[in-house]
Amino acid sequence: MSATGDAALRYRVRHTTRYRYPGEVTTGYSEARLLPRTTPDQDVHDAALHVTPTPADRRDRLDHFGNPTTYLAVQGPHQELVVTATAEVAVRPYADRWASAGTEPWERAVARLRAAPAGAPDPDPEVGPARELVLASPLVPRSPALAALAEASFAPGRPLVEAVVDLCHRVHAAVAYVPGATGIHTRPDEALAQGRGVCQDLAHVLVGAVRSRGLAARYVSGYLETDPPPGRPRLVGADATHAWASVLVPDVGWLDVDPTNDAVPEGRHLTLAWGRDFADVTPLKGVIYSGAGEHSLDVAVDVERC
Amino acid sequence: MTAPTTTEPPEGPGPTHPWASVAQRLEALGPAELERRRREADRLLLADGVTFHLHGDPPGRGRPWALDPVPVVLGEDEWARLERGVAQHAALAEALLADLYGARRTVAEGLVPPELVWGHPGFLRACDGLEPAGRWLVLLAAEVARGPDGGPMLLGHRVEDPAGAGEALENRVVTSRVLPRIYADARVRRLAPWFRALRAACRASAPAGVDDPRIVILTPGPRHDGYFEHAYLATTLGWTLVEGADLVVRDGHVHLRALGGLEPVHVVVRRVAARWSDPLELRSDSTLGVPGLLEAARRGNVGVVNHPGAGVLDDPALLPRLPALCRRLLDEDLLLPSVPTWWCGDPAARSHVLAHLDELVVKPIARRRGANARFGWRLTADQRAALAAAIEAEPHAWVGQARLDTTPVPTLAGGRVVERRALLRTFATSGPDGWTVLDGALTRVADSDDADVISGQVGSHSKDTWVVATGTETATGFWLHRGPEVPATSPTATMSSRAGENLFWLGRYAERAEQTVRLTRHVLDRRTELPPGVDPAGDEVVAALVEALSAVTATAPGPTHGSTPHRLAAPEAELAAALTDAGRPGTLAADVRSLLGAADAVRDQLSGDTWLVVSNLEGELDQLAAAGAGAPDDARTTEALAAVLKSLLALAGLANESMVRDPGWRFLDAGRRLERALQLTELLRSTLGRARDTAAESLLFESVLTVSESIITYRRRYRSQAQLETLLDLLVQDPGNPRSVAFQLDRLAEDLADVPQPAPERLGVDEELTLEVGALVRDADTTALAATDGDGRRPALVALLDGVGQLLERTAVAIDAAHFTHLEPRQVLAGSVEAPDEQVSGADLGGGPP
Repeated sequence: MSATGDAALRYRVRHTTRYRYPGEVTTGYSEARLLPRTTPDQDVHDAALHVTPTPADRRDRLDHFGNPTTYLAVQGPHQELVVTATAEVAVRPYADRWASAGTEPWERAVARLRAAPAGAPDPDPEVGPARELVLASPLVPRSPALAALAEASFAPGRPLVEAVVDLCHRVHAAVAYVPGATGIHTRPDEALAQGRGVCQDLAHVLVGAVRSRGLAARYVSGYLETDPPPGRPRLVGADATHAWASVLVPDVGWLDVDPTNDAVPEGRHLTLAWGRDFADVTPLKGVIYSGAGEHSLDVAVDVERC
Repeated sequence: MTAPTTTEPPEGPGPTHPWASVAQRLEALGPAELERRRREADRLLLADGVTFHLHGDPPGRGRPWALDPVPVVLGEDEWARLERGVAQHAALAEALLADLYGARRTVAEGLVPPELVWGHPGFLRACDGLEPAGRWLVLLAAEVARGPDGGPMLLGHRVEDPAGAGEALENRVVTSRVLPRIYADARVRRLAPWFRALRAACRASAPAGVDDPRIVILTPGPRHDGYFEHAYLATTLGWTLVEGADLVVRDGHVHLRALGGLEPVHVVVRRVAARWSDPLELRSDSTLGVPGLLEAARRGNVGVVNHPGAGVLDDPALLPRLPALCRRLLDEDLLLPSVPTWWCGDPAARSHVLAHLDELVVKPIARRRGANARFGWRLTADQRAALAAAIEAEPHAWVGQARLDTTPVPTLAGGRVVERRALLRTFATSGPDGWTVLDGALTRVADSDDADVISGQVGSHSKDTWVVATGTETATGFWLHRGPEVPATSPTATMSSRAGENLFWLGRYAERAEQTVRLTRHVLDRRTELPPGVDPAGDEVVAALVEALSAVTATAPGPTHGSTPHRLAAPEAELAAALTDAGRPGTLAADVRSLLGAADAVRDQLSGDTWLVVSNLEGELDQLAAAGAGAPDDARTTEALAAVLKSLLALAGLANESMVRDPGWRFLDAGRRLERALQLTELLRSTLGRARDTAAESLLFESVLTVSESIITYRRRYRSQAQLETLLDLLVQDPGNPRSVAFQLDRLAEDLADVPQPAPERLGVDEELTLEVGALVRDADTTALAATDGDGRRPALVALLDGVGQLLERTAVAIDAAHFTHLEPRQVLAGSVEAPDEQVSGADLGGGPP
């Protein structure tokens, strides 16, 4: 499926991560998930990763979820590591598609997920593998509070898309976006209890709530357009990587919902990677050998229309 | 599905069973003799250094394991059934593993519920699609019991940590030694062929094109309860024992940080838990793993056995699915039945488990902290309710299993043979023509007559298992190897820098301990000989010796610190502490503990006899502590000191007589030489730095010569009253006296010339420093050294000894810098997220094993 039709919006992405070490690092190993993936609604061109100093060893692969992943090893002494990812991304707005999509009750999706793959395979090939995304995951354990939040949105017989959008409203209302309110290991039920969090927490809350109903939800990391077109509001989370959630609607596809902005993306969300939760899509992680003290980390993200 | 059955134990073996003749022979020995043989087995295990560590044990201190010499005896016919079943099971496990990390047909077809893959912590997403260079599985441990019909029944298997093969082999070695006649007459099938097959299977796991792979066994280290086995397998099979920090990934290949530089590694036999094996892709807080290991494996540059993702198979919920999987993957009917198991992810099975909680064993599908097997019949009503709630909250994470009445086996307890419940753990290894099963097993026995649970703890109560042959067995060793001749690799190539460093410190600590014993023993002798207050010269000599002890051992704050006169007047407590206070650096106890720690870290490099000595040291130190507490002059202390000295001398003798002159020995010897020179220099400086009156000086010269093991030579050579010039000649400059400083320096220079040269980027100044200090010693003029100044000091002597001491300390630092690799601290980059270990909900359910 190509997204290069008239409706596609084109962006140029530049994502720079800079580690500064207070002393010499002898060897550093990293794993990057910084090259945007191609999706049914997104094409990626000229994606490239520039690394300084030049790694002695690097290799690209696709991870378990199909995200482009790069192994990097800097084997000589260095005091700084700069990883810059650049790409051109074409996104097709698809909110309209969802407005007219399925009126099937959400219980039907649960039944199809539960049945696959014991009997005949589900006609939608997405359904079988999505069983993985119904289960709890390391950063999104089961929680009665998340289940209670979902229960209010998932009235019996309600169409799945409607229920998910309603849940997105609830998460947005229940957890205020407060930068720095939480850490990367904050559990979603903790963020929900304190009523504050960052986009990662809001996405985790939504993912956990959806899964508590027996539905499949994944965590999506990506970008937002940095400067909006004239007359449009600047979206929250535009100066760094952003996160939202995606829910499987059988026969239609994965429905992205952004609880931080309380919106279904309309062509201004660029997908980088997805997984069960944030731990699966960490943009850059690594191990270094150094006797020096604490290092510093700067991240800069720039997304422009082109 | 049927309810668990409680059957009568089947009839014991009949009179034609091979056990009958073994039983007859054992009975003929009589209870007293049997008990003597059991004690002999204990002694042999201790002598082989067979211990296991539990978390929290101090380094170097292991616990002996309990071996019952009465074997389990099985006939070839009954064994053949088990053997075929285990071989098929291993083949099935390997096929399933390849499918789960590949096409996942078994999941798509509904044979494996997705939860058992996606919801199992052993399924490592980082390993998805990671095709091994060799086999998916190389080693599988199968737990087998005798089922209700008397035939074998599978209780489960272990592929993530298939421990116990080494323990089984050691049990065989010891059992065959304590029951030599019975063993020989029983024609027991040998274990060696299976270990050869294991070695071949690991070789076959190397990347294509590598003819003579270097195989390492990756251990979490001496504190792990499996460490004995890791070292034992390394020694037995010729592998290199390494810890994570000994390996490094460069250009996508794994290397050993060997003495002299990096050496390629082709196969990693992994005994570090998979999640801890690569801090880049898995647990970033792991210090046990190797960053980049998975990437090297993914590229096919190293074989990792077993596959890092193998843990997904260690899941009891798969057991009821094996018959269907066997037909699908192997196109065969399953031979070995499994214990009845109900997976709670299946609603019907869940109902069954919840309705029969009081009679089932309930287990989590993965071994996790805080999640043990629970024995339903032992739980209180409240505990059962809590367990039911935990199952309801996360059904896929639990199974229920029938309680199996395992067949009792004859076991020696209190001098008589009784029946106790037992489990067999046997092992299978992959070969080109299928799987080979060990002709024997590790049998673990319940702790008491009425115990219904057998401890899974390594080394708890185990025994040998004999498969009795009908044909004749050809005796072969482990090293029988049909195939092309392989040129010997250089000995340096198989020793890690860490092993070299530990041997160096082993030498240093052994010498320190030896010198401390000699000096302390002499101080005690002098105190007896020269009681306080009788002769001023005597008092001065004793005080000088106590001071020297403090200086040489550096046990500050020692006998001479603090309120000096008071302490010197009554130094008993300090003397006792210098021997037995393990918490204070420099004491004998601390040195011996460090020695044991260093020896433990290189146990694959040390001979069996060395272990005999090392393990004795532990006990002797305990006796010394018991005797010496508060009463160092006691005769028991003298005796205990003599015993410690004897062991230390034996250790030195073994190093000279039983060790190949390879770089490891060179570093061991270098450590000893360096330390002996340092200790002697300090002794001379502390006792002879200033002149005393003739009576005291003559006594002190005698003391110094005695402590330095040179008094007899001195008397024979000089036949006169001791003089400082001749004393210095013998103890400092004589290159023919193995106790002189000059001798140590010559040997040190020889050792350093013979070790692998350091990498070019390292500045190796150790040899230059050794030559420099040698010249300083050689060129000194003993007459000038003996001269005193107006205050009675000997400035030239003190200056020389200070200079020598400082150069020696610098040499020690230079050896370390030139030859041993010290890793910079490992740090995790900011932004790396560590997924927490998945925990079972419902924290404390109680009712775990006692």
